[in-house]
Amino acid sequence: MRNENASLTGLTPIFHTIFFEMKKQRKKLYFFTMVSILIAVLLSYILQLFPDNLLADTQAEFFSSGLNFISFITLFSACLFFSGIICSEFNKRTGFIVFPKINKYKLIIGKYIGNLILVVSIITAYYFVLGLFGFYYYGGPINIRIFYSYGFAVLYVIALSSFVTLFSSFMKNVNVTIIITLIILLMGFNIADQIVTLFYADMFEPLYSLAYLGNLITSVLENPFPDPRYVEYSFGGMGPGGMGGNFSYGIWVTPSIFMGTTLLLVYIIGCFILAALLFKRRQL
Amino acid sequence: MSEIVIKLENLTKNFGNFTAVDSINLEVCRGETIGLVGPNGAGKTTTIKMIAKILRPNSGKILIRTNGSELKDLQHVSSTVSQIGFLIDIPNFYNMTAYQLLKYFGKIQRYPKDKLDNRIDELLAFFKLSEWKFERVRNFSKGMVQKLGIIQAILHDPDIIILDEPQTGLDPLARIEIRKYLRELQSLGKTIFIASHMLYEISEICDKIALINYGKIIGFDTVENLALTLKTSELNCLLLEPLDAEKLPPLLNRIDERLSPFLDQNLDPKISKIPILYNPEHQGLKLYFNGKNESKGEILKILVNEFESDFTVISFTQPKTSQLERVYSKLVENSTPEGPIKLKGDDIKNEK
Repeated sequence: MRNENASLTGLTPIFHTIFFEMKKQRKKLYFFTMVSILIAVLLSYILQLFPDNLLADTQAEFFSSGLNFISFITLFSACLFFSGIICSEFNKRTGFIVFPKINKYKLIIGKYIGNLILVVSIITAYYFVLGLFGFYYYGGPINIRIFYSYGFAVLYVIALSSFVTLFSSFMKNVNVTIIITLIILLMGFNIADQIVTLFYADMFEPLYSLAYLGNLITSVLENPFPDPRYVEYSFGGMGPGGMGGNFSYGIWVTPSIFMGTTLLLVYIIGCFILAALLFKRRQL
Repeated sequence: MSEIVIKLENLTKNFGNFTAVDSINLEVCRGETIGLVGPNGAGKTTTIKMIAKILRPNSGKILIRTNGSELKDLQHVSSTVSQIGFLIDIPNFYNMTAYQLLKYFGKIQRYPKDKLDNRIDELLAFFKLSEWKFERVRNFSKGMVQKLGIIQAILHDPDIIILDEPQTGLDPLARIEIRKYLRELQSLGKTIFIASHMLYEISEICDKIALINYGKIIGFDTVENLALTLKTSELNCLLLEPLDAEKLPPLLNRIDERLSPFLDQNLDPKISKIPILYNPEHQGLKLYFNGKNESKGEILKILVNEFESDFTVISFTQPKTSQLERVYSKLVENSTPEGPIKLKGDDIKNEK
């Protein structure tokens, strides 16, 4: 009889699961890659065809404006690719077929890596198109900062995916997980950031917020790096009914590179540990 | 006696205050085919899920022997499950093609790469799914999904096969095919453990039956031995030619008189009002006797020798299924969450 021990102690099942997962999700990959490329082309090429839109002065500014949509792409793709990673095995009861065959952690690691490769490929396609147009408009060499930005985008995607995986480890339904994580990531963090800034202004930096940490992707393109990182806008005038006065509001533009990187790593590790603990307790 | 390959020791599983499996003890020997029979919610699937390590027992042990080694506690052996083929519940697959799924399952269980495609083709052909090899599972009928579920359980050629309701959703022909395949596996010395409601399938295939209710094993033995707990047993005699309707009542009276020492004269009216019945459609006699083996021989002798001029017996059988049905009804009806009710004269062969 074959030595079955090796199949569970070795990494081979993880590799097979990665490839299987990539095959399984290929329709989503095609869709998101098409959408990303279309958005990149729209922002970098089609908008420039309109006379009102002046081309940015520098390649870095061009990349910065082109990357305005990257957070949406990463967010939607992370939610749609990772929401079902754990809960679908329970919800759709596919776990009854696969769990006796493969160690359940190896299955989830394989699925995670498979999906991560796909989401990173989508972002890579976006950056590639942007880089191509950057080269087309401004010539070489390509600004090195876009590679830094790409690195942060990958780190941000890993943090987002670990956050979504955490939700997937205890939620019952895939669709509900998608909706809840999208609401939290799209609105929840932004609303919390605004409330915190309204009350504490520059006293409290919203470092808990994934959305805020994601600002590193575009701010790293700026040279010099934004300083101060907290900016206050003031404006004055007459309000309705003769009410008037000076108003001001502040925004935290970006975390520092060191703090941002550290906190993204903390998010990744923390979410994975929590997800693993919850997954361990979960039974079909 | 052959070696024990699966041993359940005081296996217990609670879901909150509800005890789904209650201190089960069971031993399965190599090459045996065991049927796990019980009503809905009796604890069959929960027991299987614990063997598959999908559920953790609250107490007790599952010991498994693989590769001729000693019995090992399943919780401490990560590899053991891969040496067992499982079909748990109604299978749900990822929406991929049958080939992609089976290829993946074969690979993660390290079935030799060069033989995997042949193995897939062979099994798909046996279960008449070859034409569906490259179709997505969502296009499959319920029966086809069930067949694919059985294929994935045996794909990696495991020594122990555990099937939960393998006949669910299958048409009669497919059931016959699966029964045939299970017999082939039996002949190869595989150990098979089947949980099912279908008493006919179980009685046809299994060497031993474990009856389970309220999470407890209420009977575990061969159908014949379990039937000894019954006061009444059944015999079917097929006749060469149909009996003349006019001569039937006196003939039945004569048979009754002659066989009366062996027949069950205090027959439970729920079973039948009289101990001898003639079924013209099946052209046979149904006799309810006292269940003793020696009585069977006497009955056959009398029917063959003394009624030679009236009819010719061409087949004389004790139907396993109806016996099992009655054993099942009796044991299940008489069991409570606290355990089986001990009936007068009962000899329930239970928990070794």
